Amino acid sequence: MADIDEAVIHMPSQDASAHIDTDLSDETQDFRMLNSISFLTDGSQQSLPKRGEKDFEPNPTLFQADILSASRQAMHNALSYPRLHHPKTQVVGIYSPNGPIPLRSAQKLDTITEESEPSKPAGTDIGVHPDSCVYVPAPKGQYFKSIGQADRWNRVWLLPEEALYLLERGTLDIRWPCSEVGCADDEGTDDSGIPMSLQAAYAAFMGRSGLTSERYSVYTGLRRLGYTIIRAPGWHDAEEGAETSESQQIALQKPQGLGLGIAGVFRQLLQWLYKPGSATTALGPVVGLGIHRSYDDIYQKLSIIPWYDPTASPSSPAPTTPPYRVVFHIYKPSTPFKKSAPPSPDFRLAVVNARTHTTIPTSAQLGALLESTPLDPPVGEKMSRQLYQRLRYGYRNVILAVVDEGVVSYLRIADSAFGKEKLYKQQNTKGNKGPWRPRPKGR
Amino acid sequence: MDIEPTLPIPISYIGGSYFLFSIDAVTYVRREHHICGVLSGTLPQIPQQNVFLGLPLKLMPEEARLLVEKGVACIVDEVKVQKDGMRALMEEDRKKYLRELESQGQHAMRLQHDRKEQQREKALKKIEEKKAAKAKKSAEKQQQEQPDPVNNEAAAKDPVVDLFAHDQQSSRRSSSATAAAAPFGTAMGVTPATSYPPLPYEWSAEQRLPLPDVPSSYPLFAHLHSEGYYLSPGLRFGCQYLAYPGDPLRFHSHFLSVSAEWDEELDLMSIVAGGRLGTGVKKGFMIGGAEKKLEGSEAGDPSSVRTFSIEWGGM
Repeated sequence: MADIDEAVIHMPSQDASAHIDTDLSDETQDFRMLNSISFLTDGSQQSLPKRGEKDFEPNPTLFQADILSASRQAMHNALSYPRLHHPKTQVVGIYSPNGPIPLRSAQKLDTITEESEPSKPAGTDIGVHPDSCVYVPAPKGQYFKSIGQADRWNRVWLLPEEALYLLERGTLDIRWPCSEVGCADDEGTDDSGIPMSLQAAYAAFMGRSGLTSERYSVYTGLRRLGYTIIRAPGWHDAEEGAETSESQQIALQKPQGLGLGIAGVFRQLLQWLYKPGSATTALGPVVGLGIHRSYDDIYQKLSIIPWYDPTASPSSPAPTTPPYRVVFHIYKPSTPFKKSAPPSPDFRLAVVNARTHTTIPTSAQLGALLESTPLDPPVGEKMSRQLYQRLRYGYRNVILAVVDEGVVSYLRIADSAFGKEKLYKQQNTKGNKGPWRPRPKGR
Repeated sequence: MDIEPTLPIPISYIGGSYFLFSIDAVTYVRREHHICGVLSGTLPQIPQQNVFLGLPLKLMPEEARLLVEKGVACIVDEVKVQKDGMRALMEEDRKKYLRELESQGQHAMRLQHDRKEQQREKALKKIEEKKAAKAKKSAEKQQQEQPDPVNNEAAAKDPVVDLFAHDQQSSRRSSSATAAAAPFGTAMGVTPATSYPPLPYEWSAEQRLPLPDVPSSYPLFAHLHSEGYYLSPGLRFGCQYLAYPGDPLRFHSHFLSVSAEWDEELDLMSIVAGGRLGTGVKKGFMIGGAEKKLEGSEAGDPSSVRTFSIEWGGM
């Protein structure tokens, strides 16, 4: 596989920690490495294995064949590890194919509900997301801190991706409801006692309410890495996902008020006095006549090409086109997350299927996507010092997750403002630090 | 050791994607047909990482189609199968299935219990040995007027090791105590990977789906596959397919391959860019496509595919 640091393997003298950037998940890893991890321990002090060494090409030796079959056997063993639930820690969820339903005892009033109205989910009635489709009557465990919504009977309702993820990682035991398996013994619960297999869960949840396999790949991939990830308002293609502009307004006021002290006002007054009319370029030289007290004025006059200012609020935000629309909000593991009142997300993410969208998005699509995110100017001590950090960070940003058949690539797209970085002003402030010295070329 | 699943293997079509859920099927198509797919599920034993992933195996439409064309697999509308199947489940089968699961769960519980027991014994034995060794050592030490430094060091280290051992032992003891506290008969809950059983391993005509739709790059895919290459999706590396000379478990890929139509005009820049990219990662950049024959025979015939490998000369 694409292996930029392949050479590293042949240079054992190199310090391994210098290459920590290598993403092991980029490559198919040799499953024999898994053997070194003992699954019997409690899982707290497991460290991931180092990458295995691969051969260049197959040769007909028995040696190679043996290694390969050992690798495959290790893979087989690892993959056939069962999902077990110890009775002490077992968490049971029940599949509710018709969306959220009230508690059965409360439902008794009209006994025919199940048969008569399977189409209209009652989610809004009981205060959970209408797309929820699994409920957990007795939630326990750390996962429900960031997953699920509780209704008034203290059951936690899960969205399809949440339910599928929990089942897949062996945390949740989802049961078929009685209504789906056609069993007769009705003992006041929906639980038929038949556990849903992984296959059944995929069939039931994938493709349900906008959950594509691409979105699910992104969801689980980030969850596995420890991020908290929730649906964004633009999840359904029919909805417009732009966030309310309140946060934008607040953020907008800040940069405007910058740097205009009394001295600033005074300078502006002087500038206005010395300005010999602004629209003279058609008739005379760009810089024109007049008194120039600093190079800044001249540079300012020279900048006749209009530039894009991302902080200017768009007159009317252009509508985003799916899939270039924020569908996930992502929180770093370090961000304190409260289910009931999620904070402002650390990242906003759009999911693109590379198989159906084979070209780079158009400027209009990207522009609309960026405009749908709130202003996030580069602030902070480091940012204010370093020009290139600022340019890289941009004023708005969004992450594109491009999924090619289960392989996800993440791209960060930022709205850089080159026009806002006035280089001539920078040199003024840093000019007295000594003569500029060219860096030695080459290494 | 090599398990042969009953053919044809059902490939589950769910929400526009093709999945394999049976571990036997996954190893079988990998071993016999060089189809690797992409593992996309979470491994329950180490769920918080992305390096080793587990079932289900996601297949590219190309891979699914190839398997169907070889007669090894069939495409099954899994959503329909599950819905129909669970509804039609007989009371008897249901009970049988539950009993089966329970016995599996009990077996798993017993295994775990035994394992814990063994670990505990091992730990205890270790401690005993250590104590004996220590006693011996200290006896020696007392005998020798001047203990050698190595021995001294070992003795200094020993309490630490012992401390840990004690720690482990106590934790194990407590865990085994919990296991013992749970009555021995209780079974673990099991979430099986596949739905066969309880569902029957056969599919009616209306549950089967036609051949998967494949992109225009399919002839190249089929050609490279027939030449013995293992292929995987390659967008992350800037191409359509990564071509491996052998199983990706053991080999690095050799080619970044991109498909093109026979008469397609290629931008020279894309060739230069691809060539540089490939050379930069020590791989060949490969362009391939099916040659259009004048007789108008089959257009997407893999045998008419020609491939061109581009390398950066570096003169």
